[in-house]
Amino acid sequence: MDITRPPRPSPDDDASTDQVVRVRGLRKSYGDRVVVDDVDLDVHRGEVLGIIGTNGAGKTTTVEILQGLRRADAGEVRVLGLDPARDADRLRPLLGSQLQSSRLPDRMRVDEALHLFSGPRADGGETLLDRFGLAHRRGSAFGSMSGGEQQRLFLVLALLNRPRLVVLDELTQGLDPAARREVWAAVSRLRSDGTTVLLVTHELAEAEALCDRVVAMRDGRVLDAGTPAELVDRHAGRAEITFTLPAGRPAEQLAEVRALPGVQQVRRTGDRLAVEGERAAIAHVGRWLVGAGRVPADLRVVVPDLESALLGLLGGVERTAA
Amino acid sequence: MSTARLVVSELRLLARDPFTLTFVLAFPVVTMLIIGGAFGSQPDEVFPVDPTQWYVAAYLTVVIAATGLVMLPVHIAAYRERGVLRRLTASGFSRWSFAVAELVVGLVAVAVGGVVLLAVALPVYGVPAVEDPLRVVGALLAASVAFVALGVLLGTLLPSARAAQAVGLLLFFPSFLLGGGGPPPAAMSSALQRVAEWLPLGVANQAIRDPWLGLGEAGPQLLATALLAVVALGLAARRSTL
Repeated sequence: MDITRPPRPSPDDDASTDQVVRVRGLRKSYGDRVVVDDVDLDVHRGEVLGIIGTNGAGKTTTVEILQGLRRADAGEVRVLGLDPARDADRLRPLLGSQLQSSRLPDRMRVDEALHLFSGPRADGGETLLDRFGLAHRRGSAFGSMSGGEQQRLFLVLALLNRPRLVVLDELTQGLDPAARREVWAAVSRLRSDGTTVLLVTHELAEAEALCDRVVAMRDGRVLDAGTPAELVDRHAGRAEITFTLPAGRPAEQLAEVRALPGVQQVRRTGDRLAVEGERAAIAHVGRWLVGAGRVPADLRVVVPDLESALLGLLGGVERTAA
Repeated sequence: MSTARLVVSELRLLARDPFTLTFVLAFPVVTMLIIGGAFGSQPDEVFPVDPTQWYVAAYLTVVIAATGLVMLPVHIAAYRERGVLRRLTASGFSRWSFAVAELVVGLVAVAVGGVVLLAVALPVYGVPAVEDPLRVVGALLAASVAFVALGVLLGTLLPSARAAQAVGLLLFFPSFLLGGGGPPPAAMSSALQRVAEWLPLGVANQAIRDPWLGLGEAGPQLLATALLAVVALGLAARRSTL
């Protein structure tokens, strides 16, 4: 599989007014262990950018540096035009953060958390509670809430101060599939609202469901970045269509299928055909089958998706139930 | 204003969680009742005053030590372990606001623990008259700030609640036994007396107890306790980058 590093953006990108995050050549080591190695990253206004990678890929360290929670060893980091290391006090009120493995005191109530984390820019806390289905939990202690409710509360707190960038780190870690769906729906609403989101995850299905663009990391380095469609084109396997040939003249049928646009390989085993090719081949084979007058009952199609692209690219990334 | 919100929030949580204060409230009271009743009520060659009065005055320092060396480090380290400190930092709380909030929490805990101790002592042993109120109040204040600030410092340095409990108890019990809650200096060997003289809790205890019971002004001890308070306060505020 061809693993290509995305080209470094030109210096002109700096002038781009919709650039929320700009990172060039970021490095961070803990002792002798390099955890972030020459990472470039751009986040544009209004997009949901996913950073995906295996555990230890350097994702969390990268976003902690962006939030001013850790200092970089080298590289240029600008978040909303500010240096997180030097301007942390100015930057943090502009960020909304959901941190990995971070909780609230068990006895803190939802309305108290809302009050505690309300900064000067805070607006619409009650509306946010309503919107994320927590209005009825206003008086509940954090420790009494389900995992899904706790994560939705963290989303409310992350959005409370009208942030210009929301950082969500392993948002659905440890949640059951139903709770994960709840939280995904909440993030989808953020995307609909045009909120800029930096989403860190090691779950392929989450990246596929939520992200406009994806950056894949492994061992501290960026392996590739792009829209899901671009990553699928670059890294996913071929589409595969298998079916039993309609009754008739097999040799002619085989030749017709081979000639269809996008078809790259055709294998015949008895009366079954396995066709591999680009995603467009799926439509053309389907059209050919309809034209042949009979859609086979055993028609099976494997569509290349972001999950298969990233699985191939990263290797060993957790595949989750969607 | 964020600091004020954090102070209010921390005090509310302290009031809501009875277990946080258990050690501070229960340990000094129980041990004072036992030790205070073990040596009668007459001065002798090791107790320059009524032993019950000696221990009532001394055990206020035990409340301060229990707060600073055990309660606060465990409380703050548990916050670190749960990621509460990172959440506060990421949410834009200023670097010193958490230290201020915990200092207030610690001082309130000392005040509540002290009042409970004296309230229990009053009907059982009586509370000795304060001979030099100004020095006693000054020493109490300096000792409280010193040990509460040490507690904040330990809590931000230690990685987990379990580690904080182990280190805190390791610091607390020798300080407690040699620095005020155990035998009086005259009953100790000369080597232990030397250690007790230099223990921060022993110094703070003498700064409070001596002017309270009319045993002396303990000026150097008051000065040393005040100095410790300033240094610990500075270190705690500096460490609380969380």
